[in-house]
Amino acid sequence: MAIAGFYLRRLYTIFKGEVLVLPSRVVVFLFFLAVLFLPIVTQDPYLLRILILTSIFAILAASWDLLSGFTGQLNFGHALFFGVGAYTSALLNLHARIPPSGSIPLGALAAVLAGLIIGIPCLRLRGTYLALTTLAFPIILMGIVFAIPSITGGELGVSGLDRLSRSRVSDYYITVVLMLGLCTIMWKITDSNTGVIFHAIREDELAVRTAGINTTRYKLLAFSLSGFFAGIAGGLYAHFMRIAGPSTLEVSMSFTVVIWAVFGGIVTIYGPVGAVFILFPVLEFLRFWPEFRMLMFAVVILFILLYMPDGLLPWLRDKIEEECPRCKIRNVATRKTCRVCTAPLD
Amino acid sequence: MKRFGFVLGVLLAVCLVMTIGSPAWGAKVIKIGVIGPMKFVQGKGHWNGATLAAEEINAKGGIQVGKKKMKIELVKADSNEFLSMTDATNAMELAITRHKVDFLVGGFRTEAVLAMQDIAMDYKKIFIGCGAAHPKLCTRVAQNYDRYKYWFRGTPFNSMYLARTCFIHMATVGAILKKMLNIPKVKVAIVAEKAMWVDPMVAAAKGFIPKMGMEVAGIWRPSAVATDVTAELSAIQRAGAHMIFTTFSSSVGITFARQAGELKIPAAQVGINVEAQKDGFWDATEGMGNYVMTMNTYARGVEYNELTAPFVDKYIKKFAEVPTYTADTYAAIIYTLAPTIEEAGTLDADKLVAVLENRECMVPSGKIRYTKDTEGRHLHDLKWGPGYLTSLGTQWQDGKLKGVWPNRWKASKDAPEITYKGIVPYKIAPWIIDKYKK
Repeated sequence: MAIAGFYLRRLYTIFKGEVLVLPSRVVVFLFFLAVLFLPIVTQDPYLLRILILTSIFAILAASWDLLSGFTGQLNFGHALFFGVGAYTSALLNLHARIPPSGSIPLGALAAVLAGLIIGIPCLRLRGTYLALTTLAFPIILMGIVFAIPSITGGELGVSGLDRLSRSRVSDYYITVVLMLGLCTIMWKITDSNTGVIFHAIREDELAVRTAGINTTRYKLLAFSLSGFFAGIAGGLYAHFMRIAGPSTLEVSMSFTVVIWAVFGGIVTIYGPVGAVFILFPVLEFLRFWPEFRMLMFAVVILFILLYMPDGLLPWLRDKIEEECPRCKIRNVATRKTCRVCTAPLD
Repeated sequence: MKRFGFVLGVLLAVCLVMTIGSPAWGAKVIKIGVIGPMKFVQGKGHWNGATLAAEEINAKGGIQVGKKKMKIELVKADSNEFLSMTDATNAMELAITRHKVDFLVGGFRTEAVLAMQDIAMDYKKIFIGCGAAHPKLCTRVAQNYDRYKYWFRGTPFNSMYLARTCFIHMATVGAILKKMLNIPKVKVAIVAEKAMWVDPMVAAAKGFIPKMGMEVAGIWRPSAVATDVTAELSAIQRAGAHMIFTTFSSSVGITFARQAGELKIPAAQVGINVEAQKDGFWDATEGMGNYVMTMNTYARGVEYNELTAPFVDKYIKKFAEVPTYTADTYAAIIYTLAPTIEEAGTLDADKLVAVLENRECMVPSGKIRYTKDTEGRHLHDLKWGPGYLTSLGTQWQDGKLKGVWPNRWKASKDAPEITYKGIVPYKIAPWIIDKYKK
């Protein structure tokens, strides 16, 4: 009992010292609580459906940020990973009767393979050339899908898949917990030494190479990791929708991911996640005005990008928090001095 | 006291007006979800047809359900399925769980309809498909009847029959060319837009044309949005084609017809040209689309039966255009759902399915009967053929879209000849006659 009390007190101390000191961390904490406890308040199937799809697309958007935001490998064909994950999971489920718990990870591994396959020829390309090359890959795969309809189902896709689980609430928890877990993992990767190297490659690849780091290996790692997470999103999508079709590979899917990431703020991981949690439900909410739904959506995005070029979430964060000019620790904007080094804040 | 009496009188009058003026009071309405890509012509057809049906039913006081009359309330659900499949499924779930619809009609893109079908089946809602033609939507019923029995095809008949009908049109025109112009072996150019849905059609045409005693002159695949097809047309002319089998759903249909008319290409156009089904085709081609033939569902003045003209006329009067096949949501509501509900006397989906799958009824585009597969399992697919649904072959003749098929058509040697009211003979373009008439 005493040990439990000790650990509880320690947990509270950490919580007080690490979470409550910064508004952004409080927001993240509240976000975790809100999504985890939502089904206690409501089990409305439509609302849960929207949040399930939001969670799936949040994983996808964060995985794009991991590759294109952090490593600077501009990928305009991210739907490839999503589609490969979706189709592989679907085919394994349908033909090999592998349940979603097995087919989704295997789909993600197939997406890793896809990441390596497109990563290798793209190693020598940068910027616009890389973006255009990556854009071609999902289109090529879509051509293959239509070329072998006996396997891929052609324009119909692969349908009749097993559900993620037996109830909407379980589906919700599976996707939300995976979203929270995978996005935390992605955030931790970017915060690790590997993440620092990803970041450095984006800033100056030559300097990184000069420092003796094998940038090829790290770039391929970024493609593979991004493919893995996007593949999981694809597998979840296929089993939730119970169909994996050519729409998972459409160009619009690739561009939507880029819009989410840029809207939320790239090189953050939390930015794209936040953006999906804002934009996807907003687009659904705008159904009350169907004629102008897409126009309103575009206006919101344009407005944000015009006034917040670094993305919405970093802009908000900068408004409520300030970085210490000496130790680079973030502080709540109302503080006069840094909470760690006591240096005066501007 | 006088004042109290006045207030009481006003209150009673208000209560009376509100009771009379609110038809939904005390009587639940039947909610029908109309789901489709509402920003596109297909979705507009869904909505227009359903609106017409609801207005007609409500004007008669509603549908008799047991002992009470219930009015219809339509719920518009924009599936946006051409652009986003996720949107389509969300719209379906929204219609069922928030708007509490009792029935659903619509759907167009097969991939999206498959996903929407699953959602409707989860909630055991009768969903009458009015757009997607793929057979798989119905084979699901046979394979898993308990789950998919709430799905019924409303329009069109399945894609196998669509292709078959197109080939019949081709054979019909081929026979006319052969007979009138003494062409020993008709050569057919296959021209299909570059789109995935067309690929199986091209492959089938390539296989069937020789079986029909004709010859394939070549295959051309212009872009679906091409603005110039003169190269293809020149090549078709050089290949000596007498007939062009077109498969167009996009704007290339206008370009192709206009330029073929301008160049007076001596080959008759037959097949599917969605643009040529629209009223604006004549103006869009500046009259150069004369003699283009396309498969169609409705045309001014052509009657499958006694229900066709009233529907087409009412539709043209209200929406100033000829109905497209997705407007058959009208038939799905007024001739399929409403009589079934009245017959069963309930809104219970399971009881309605039992009545509906055995119904045979006239609709403006023919007669509906739901089929079974070779093993006798219910498919809930539509019966195609003489006496049931056949569609039309329509041809532009001097600014008017005329029905030209079926004209004394015999489905088999022993079958009776079929000619719908208002059908006129097929016309060969004068420049084709000039070229081949010996």
